Amino acid sequence: MKIGEILGKIDRRIVFGFMAIVVIVPFFFPLNVTGKVAPPSQQLFDAVEEIQPDSKPLLISIDFDPQSMPELYPMLKAILRHAFSRNVRVCMMALWVTGVGLGEAALNEVAPEYGKVHGKDYVYLGWKPGFAAVVLGMGKSIPETFPTDQYGTPLESIPMMRGVKNFRDIPYAISISAGDPGALTLWIPYVQSRFGQKLGTGMTAVSAADAYPYLQSGQLTGLLGGMKGAAEYEHLVAEAGYSEASKPATQAMDSQSMAHLAIILLIVLGNIGFILTKGRK
Amino acid sequence: MMHLSPDLWVWVGALLTLFVFSFLFGDNPFYKFAEHLYVGVSVGYMIAIYYWNFFKPDLIEPLFGRGELILIVPLILGLCYLAIFIQKFSWVVRIPMGFVLGWGSGIAIPAVLQANVIKQIQGSLITSQTLAHWNTFVWSIVVLIGVITTVIYFFFSREQKGSLKVVANIGIIYIMIGFGASFGYTVMARISLLLGRLQFLLRDWLGVIH
Repeated sequence: MKIGEILGKIDRRIVFGFMAIVVIVPFFFPLNVTGKVAPPSQQLFDAVEEIQPDSKPLLISIDFDPQSMPELYPMLKAILRHAFSRNVRVCMMALWVTGVGLGEAALNEVAPEYGKVHGKDYVYLGWKPGFAAVVLGMGKSIPETFPTDQYGTPLESIPMMRGVKNFRDIPYAISISAGDPGALTLWIPYVQSRFGQKLGTGMTAVSAADAYPYLQSGQLTGLLGGMKGAAEYEHLVAEAGYSEASKPATQAMDSQSMAHLAIILLIVLGNIGFILTKGRK
Repeated sequence: MMHLSPDLWVWVGALLTLFVFSFLFGDNPFYKFAEHLYVGVSVGYMIAIYYWNFFKPDLIEPLFGRGELILIVPLILGLCYLAIFIQKFSWVVRIPMGFVLGWGSGIAIPAVLQANVIKQIQGSLITSQTLAHWNTFVWSIVVLIGVITTVIYFFFSREQKGSLKVVANIGIIYIMIGFGASFGYTVMARISLLLGRLQFLLRDWLGVIH
């Protein structure tokens, strides 16, 4: 059998096994690949940095589900660590019904690290159906859209929500987004364009490329793209001395880099095999 | 050094992860079990959240507890959806669907036009701000050329030949670069999902990494 035919007929299980080795080895022998922080990640960090401590809250929307956790959960925790370390209050909500538990889990994990208390330092509004109706309602009145928080406490009795009426009282909003509804389909058209809300987003890598036009036009003022964006934010938070917690996205970036090299190699080999076979035919 | 998790739920998660990975070697009963369990758990979870976060606080308590009778209107509209299961009355479903489509279109059209057309055109223009620095100026030129040539590529009212073809071909280069960037990001996303599961297996379950 000629080399071209061999390259064109590699068993997929060999490819899977090769990829498994390539991504597992760096977990045991870290390469500590460090990349430059991309400007969109830096912009998001700077936007959170500009929020006044012990003032109006940062709004974070959980617009993802467990399927996107490896990319988006690390960035959510890194943003929470950044906010809590600076005493920035956090108001969290969910637009994806399967994301409700993820927001709660992140708050339960990160808030105790900084001694933050529910109701005083953060509030979890939970989830409501209706997508556009929810965010448009929040533009009019947050307490009317979410009369109670996730745990049934009336919003008017929550100290940190006093004086927070609508988006005018939200200095910055971040949609941690895995698709629709999310930053591109909901927050930009219905919240940023309509109410002028300053908006940033953390997105899955699949949809990050679609977000760049909005960044260029100024509709977004910060963007974390996939696991790389999460690793960059973890780096920024650690470099500023805000957190010494483990950095799962950063840890995985070595494997990510090796996997990319392996895929490039496989693409090159596949094309060589194709060209050689085509030449013979 | 291996530190196996003592948590039963971590074991359940790890085994289900391995069941799903087994699909790489072909369809099998373990994969099917995990798939069906996932669908069942997701639906059950959603029903519970829908009830506790929506039906109870926004419909049952205000309507039956506080007597807010106006809520009968959305209740009836919602119940109309169930008419689809009765062939004789299935036409009733058009009422709430018409309401939702009308409301949705009215809300979406101006919002999407503003965000995706007007603001994007504004963002493509060269202004005094973009001229302020060579870096932003160069990128603004690149973006402007990209927008014009790509739009011309999708201009089908005249045969693309001569100078129109040249411009359209430049548009194709921009489109291909866009596809390449999207594909690169997609590869990263898929690898990230694998890495997330591997971190769970190696760290949370087996305890061989930190």
